[in-house]
Amino acid sequence: FSWSSLGLAFHRTHLISSLLCLESIILSIYIALSIWPIKNQTSATLMQILILAFSACEASAGLAILIASTQTHVSDHLRNLNLLQC
Amino acid sequence: FILMLSLTLGTMITITSNHWVTAWAGLEINTLAVIPLISKSHHPRAIEAATKYFLTQATASALMLFSSMTNAWSSGQWDITQLTNPPSCLLLTAAIAIKLGLTPFHFWFPEVLQGSSLTTALLLSTAMKFPPTTILLLTSHSLNPTLLSTMAIMSIALGGWMGLNQTQTRKILAFSSISHLGWMTIIITYNPKLTLLTFYLYSLMTTSIFLSMNSTNTLKLSTLMTSWTKAPMLNTTLMLTLLSLAGLPPLTGFLPKWLIIQELTKQEMTTTATTISMLSLLGLFFYLRLTYCSTITLPPNSSNKMKQWSIKKPVNTLTPTL
Repeated sequence: FSWSSLGLAFHRTHLISSLLCLESIILSIYIALSIWPIKNQTSATLMQILILAFSACEASAGLAILIASTQTHVSDHLRNLNLLQC
Repeated sequence: FILMLSLTLGTMITITSNHWVTAWAGLEINTLAVIPLISKSHHPRAIEAATKYFLTQATASALMLFSSMTNAWSSGQWDITQLTNPPSCLLLTAAIAIKLGLTPFHFWFPEVLQGSSLTTALLLSTAMKFPPTTILLLTSHSLNPTLLSTMAIMSIALGGWMGLNQTQTRKILAFSSISHLGWMTIIITYNPKLTLLTFYLYSLMTTSIFLSMNSTNTLKLSTLMTSWTKAPMLNTTLMLTLLSLAGLPPLTGFLPKWLIIQELTKQEMTTTATTISMLSLLGLFFYLRLTYCSTITLPPNSSNKMKQWSIKKPVNTLTPTL
């Protein structure tokens, strides 16, 4: 988890890499949540499915935004996102 | 209109949740519903605002989920009101601070407000702040008071300082909302009801300002100067509301500040109270500049055009007289 969050914090160019890091964060949370019922002998499968569904929605929304930003800005480099400077 | 409906649904889910996953799900629904609202106009600035908003909110949601998971690992249960693990409390405050726009993590907020249309910006700064504040309220007894108060003082300071050089009204309102959020969080560990009161009054005043700006379409300070020709009554009410937002005594905005300072002095934190009242002077400067600009005219444009766009006039005349 911490590797993915560090990767998200330090993404240099390419928005796609930040989206990837976001997905890996969610995936690490998912794996950790799957291990937890095995240790404690409870069952948390409804939570798992809900988390998976919502993270899939978030990822698709992120991809849609990526496509929209590539249409309006020329590429997806982070240096191009400076239209809103103070 | 489906997006508004899903926004209200997400907010309701988060407010009425006692399990971390439902709170997280409600916040994600809110984020997903607001993203198309921000990027509706297909302007490059709007799309860029949408990307920044999405990235920050998604990381904050993931952090929140992670903190709840570490809490569950250490204490074995997923209840919201019982947070027993100090590192997960810390992560949780960080995640909510990112979502709200408190100071170490406020950098997305002015740019996102600038890139979205005025009504969307209104929605972003009032309605979207409501679920994270409810989560803060629910967990306020187990959070770290020193961390919260340092973040709040820094956000009041930064909101005042960075608002000083702005000419775009949306950015000014972004910084005013950052400083108001600082006022809200400084009292949350001592008296959560005051936080709620501050939030309600702040959202009321901000809605009236945004709506009046929407009806006269003033995006810059120079536009604000010539807005008196369109609807003079609206201009005077805008001035009163702005002064109320600054917190001057006879108007409504003074009430939360007074109560917060009273509560802080009861808790023997008088240095904190004096620093935040000094720092709100910085905000007072640009509120005064806004009111000055809206009541002094620009010479070339002195024609009295009465364009009737404003539908929400009754709201604006009522709120300063509250």
